[in-house]
Amino acid sequence: MINSKGMVAQLLGQDPGWVIALKGLLIFIFCVVLTIMAVWGERRIVARMQMRLGPNRVGIFGIIQGLADGVKLALKEDLIPKTADKIVFIIAPIISATTCFMAFAVIPLTGEVSFFGHKTVMQLTDLPVGVLYVLAIASVGVYGIVLAGWSSGSTYPLLGGLRSSAQVISYEVAMALSLVAVFIYAGSMSTSDIVVAQDRWWYAVILFPSFAIYCISMVGETNRAPFDLAEAEGELVGGFHTEYSSLKFALFFLAEYINILAVSSLATTLFLGGYRAFPGLGFTETWLGGWFTLFWFFAKVLIFFFVFVWLRGTLPRLRYDQFMQFGWKTLIPVSLAWILIVSTLRVMSDQGAPQYLIFGFAFAVVLIYLVISNYSDNAKAKLATDYKNFTPENPEFPIPISNRTEQVIQIRDEAKK
Amino acid sequence: MLTTPSFEYLLLSPMLIILAAAVIGVLAEAFLDRNHLPVIQLFISVGAILLALIQIYRIKSSSSTSAAIGSVVIDKATIYLQGTILIIGLLALLLISDQEQFVAQASAIPGSREEQESTSKGSIQTEIYPLLSFALAGMMLFTCASDLITLFVALEVFSLPLYLLAGLSRRRRLLSQEAALKYFLLGAYSSAFFLFGAAFLYGISGSVYLVDISSAVSGGYGNDVFVLIGLIFISVGLLFKISAVPFHAWTPDVYQGAPTSVTAFMAAATKVAAFGAILRIFYVVFSPIANQWRPIISVIAIITMVFGSAVAIAQRDVKRMLAYSSIAHAGFILTAVLALNKSGLSAALFYLTTYGLSTLAAFGIITLIRDATGEVTDLNKWAGLGKKSPLIAGSFAFLLLSFAGIPLTSGFIGKFAIFSAAYETGNIAVVVFGVLSSALAAFFYIRVILLMFVAQSQNDSISIAIPSVKSRIAIGATTAATVILGLFPSLLLNITQSFSIFIK
Amino acid sequence: MIRTALEVGMTKSPEAILFWVLAPLSVLAAIGMLLVKKAVHSALLLAWVMISLAIFYIAQEALFLGIVQIVVYTGAVMMLFLFILMLVGVDSADSLLENIKYLRPIAVTAAIGIGGLLVSLIGRATISHNAYGLSIANQNGNVQGLAQLLFTKYVWAFEVISALLITAALGAMVLAHSNKVRSKFSQRDLSAARFRGKKLAEAAGLPGPGVYALHNAVDVPARLPDGSAAATSISRVLEARGDVLESKQFELQQSEDESSDK
Repeated sequence: MINSKGMVAQLLGQDPGWVIALKGLLIFIFCVVLTIMAVWGERRIVARMQMRLGPNRVGIFGIIQGLADGVKLALKEDLIPKTADKIVFIIAPIISATTCFMAFAVIPLTGEVSFFGHKTVMQLTDLPVGVLYVLAIASVGVYGIVLAGWSSGSTYPLLGGLRSSAQVISYEVAMALSLVAVFIYAGSMSTSDIVVAQDRWWYAVILFPSFAIYCISMVGETNRAPFDLAEAEGELVGGFHTEYSSLKFALFFLAEYINILAVSSLATTLFLGGYRAFPGLGFTETWLGGWFTLFWFFAKVLIFFFVFVWLRGTLPRLRYDQFMQFGWKTLIPVSLAWILIVSTLRVMSDQGAPQYLIFGFAFAVVLIYLVISNYSDNAKAKLATDYKNFTPENPEFPIPISNRTEQVIQIRDEAKK
Repeated sequence: MLTTPSFEYLLLSPMLIILAAAVIGVLAEAFLDRNHLPVIQLFISVGAILLALIQIYRIKSSSSTSAAIGSVVIDKATIYLQGTILIIGLLALLLISDQEQFVAQASAIPGSREEQESTSKGSIQTEIYPLLSFALAGMMLFTCASDLITLFVALEVFSLPLYLLAGLSRRRRLLSQEAALKYFLLGAYSSAFFLFGAAFLYGISGSVYLVDISSAVSGGYGNDVFVLIGLIFISVGLLFKISAVPFHAWTPDVYQGAPTSVTAFMAAATKVAAFGAILRIFYVVFSPIANQWRPIISVIAIITMVFGSAVAIAQRDVKRMLAYSSIAHAGFILTAVLALNKSGLSAALFYLTTYGLSTLAAFGIITLIRDATGEVTDLNKWAGLGKKSPLIAGSFAFLLLSFAGIPLTSGFIGKFAIFSAAYETGNIAVVVFGVLSSALAAFFYIRVILLMFVAQSQNDSISIAIPSVKSRIAIGATTAATVILGLFPSLLLNITQSFSIFIK
Repeated sequence: MIRTALEVGMTKSPEAILFWVLAPLSVLAAIGMLLVKKAVHSALLLAWVMISLAIFYIAQEALFLGIVQIVVYTGAVMMLFLFILMLVGVDSADSLLENIKYLRPIAVTAAIGIGGLLVSLIGRATISHNAYGLSIANQNGNVQGLAQLLFTKYVWAFEVISALLITAALGAMVLAHSNKVRSKFSQRDLSAARFRGKKLAEAAGLPGPGVYALHNAVDVPARLPDGSAAATSISRVLEARGDVLESKQFELQQSEDESSDK
């Protein structure tokens, strides 16, 4: 059993070369297979939500539909537009597809297991700054999208690429800030240590605001609905991948799904106790010589994946400016405030402050929150009543009025002249 | 477990007050009503500077090397320099608060409809106040920083607001923006040189603290090559800030493009801060190896003095002329660095104060000479100014005489003190060149005076604005100081002598 | 990759291999950055230089620095660079016009001179000196060691940097944020104004370009029920750029239609 920090790093240090190579290969194969299954799964789930059946012809329940689609995609004609910047156009999907796999190197998939007779854990490597490493890889991965948009040499992909770069920079800030609370509580930035630190309580419970912020920003980071502005088909045709076809498009496709799995795995590791069993089922962790923990890990990841699909099935896409506003004006300030609260509480408990002081502080925070939310509610209500006070001049239909309306009319008339 | 670092807050309080004022200013900018902001911001900034001056007075006789865990040295010279920077800052603030010179909205494209609208609406970019406070705090820190990292951070803290302020002129905005960009790019470049030198000094001494570097240098331990590279590159970064030749290229353009009150602040306060750091580094760290760097600095001082004085003659623009004159003055003060003795330090402190005050007054007067398009800086149009307003033209002439170093002005006392200190330690060549270039400089100063009083005015388009109370206080006080310090120099000389102490 | 970099860094000969593979690549990329014509290519090569620097840092046991180098420089700074470059335009290349004559040869000579001088000086100073690794500094862990220094020895400089960051943010606001004299109208305002306009016909949205026209491109005006072109259907930007096709040629041609009917 792994129950102390640094143990994983020690175990991994003893791995011979063939174990490392085999583990890498297994993780790679697993990701690709899971992607193909995920495509099928997503189509089935969305279909159910839209009262359809979804793919059900190829194989039992249509289960190899994904494979068939993949083959079809690969056999399509590969086009490179005349105006494209050829080198960058080819490099872009490669960057996207390679970086997304790299994130899995630091995710602990199982507890201690016996791997062909060798005692180890299913984790390629353990870094003291593992979580930061994932963020670094994610930030390199965006280059694929941005460059794809730029190199296509046409307007819609360029806009998609621009949106994507702005989006990822903005949401990565919120994402990184949401992780700070986890680091403070776990006292480490290594993924395996964070899992070990969650042996009593999952951080999704005690650091719920962090968890919520992470969940929102991970959707933004992966360009998925309702934040899929970089490839908004209604506005930008296909966004950054408009000009891509065949295998290059397939690589983007692959990258998108692996990214979803990667951020879900990170969320599982940081907030849901990683490979540990659900509460009360701790005894299952030793089944199959420890390999059963893999089941728990993927159960959690698949729950996240289901939520991703669920979001896509239910929520409309955000308007771009609202999306950026939400990121900068809501998520980031809230994360900052939350970090302040968490670190204050942490210092209080570290220095042995009396209980009533800690509760008093928590109470004060709640009070401030209520005051602020009350204030903003009032402001909203006032805005709503402003719009209701109208004086209809054309009596056939109700007309909202405000002094701004006059301004708009005036400006428009000026422009017409 | 870590031990909590401890600070001597009383000694740091002048800087902390200014920093706090800047932060409060930013918050006020975010949350308070725009209509009242100019008054509130002015109140915050002036209040903070006065408070900081009171604190400076309270700690005037204390000294410590561990005020901020070795990052800051508070000694007599530091306290004097910080006080000078604060006084210059206060007077410059009075000039700056005449919002006339600043753009109504910096983000509007020059000449656009948006710009017209915001100008006619009377919007004001009140962010200049917190920016000025940040610059002040950075300058104060720059004079007392005693490790290379703090030195670098302080350099950036005071440079960044200046880059911004230089680009906010209300009139001739493209020129102003170009000046800001030039200043920024060249400044960033010189910071890189500074960092490069710092890395080498860290390499030889294994420490970023000036004390350790000093002992490593004097102990002969380490590597002379690295010492020399480090010394040269650090000097490049610092000499850029005082605009010594050949790192002066930005000065005329920036002085001309920036709003005149910002130019006044930059010319006066930046010199004090940068010379504070240069004096500390050369007096404290590199004095044991003076033989190695003295020739280099001597040459730089000489070409700075000569070049500044010579090129100033050809200028047809008052602000550019004063820019070249400030280059020449940088050369004069560098002479004090060469002296490496107590009287040199004391002379440098005296010169920095008097030069700062006179420059402030000179640029303050330039803000008053206007025509329909704004300030008039073309020298030809200044012809006959003496008849229009004898008082203003007379004061300006007096200030120019002080720059030239004519007896009975503070400039003369300063030059005399510096040259005699340098002569004491045997830098005769530098002194000779210094005196010669002063004579050269006197030529173009006197030419301007003749232009104002003797030449016939060609057009009547220029007028002299009636200064506001704030400008009046600033210009009056600085001019008066130039007069008084010229007549009774011992008032200040005694003070600088007792404050010219660096500790390690 | 990181793991191999780390392991390689521990022992002497693999580190040398890593160095001799990556160093020439990054130097080539750095030189290429100066020589390529398109700004985006320059930016990409610079990003590569930064990533290889990060790998070097990691190989030399400065793990945190290496990762942060990627997050901050490659992820944020270079990305903003690209963002700007993309706004500038796809085809724009640097203007290679020289304002000062002979600037290029002078610059090259000066660069080679100062570079050679520094290389020879540093070479003279470092050859036959021992290098110290980070093993002592990393005793309690790399991140912990850094944190300890930042929050004890260098805490003053660390705190003062906050002034720098506030200044930078404030400066960005001053230069870029405009307090609109006329505030920007929301969709709601625009909609309200449409209904209160003089003509009720304006209450409906404008026709999109290409509706009922022969072509459905953005520069082809829509046609009204009587067959005439609807001028309002074309974006004002396109009009100002002069990119609009003459609408006449897309109007119904009476005779042709009639003849085809017969």
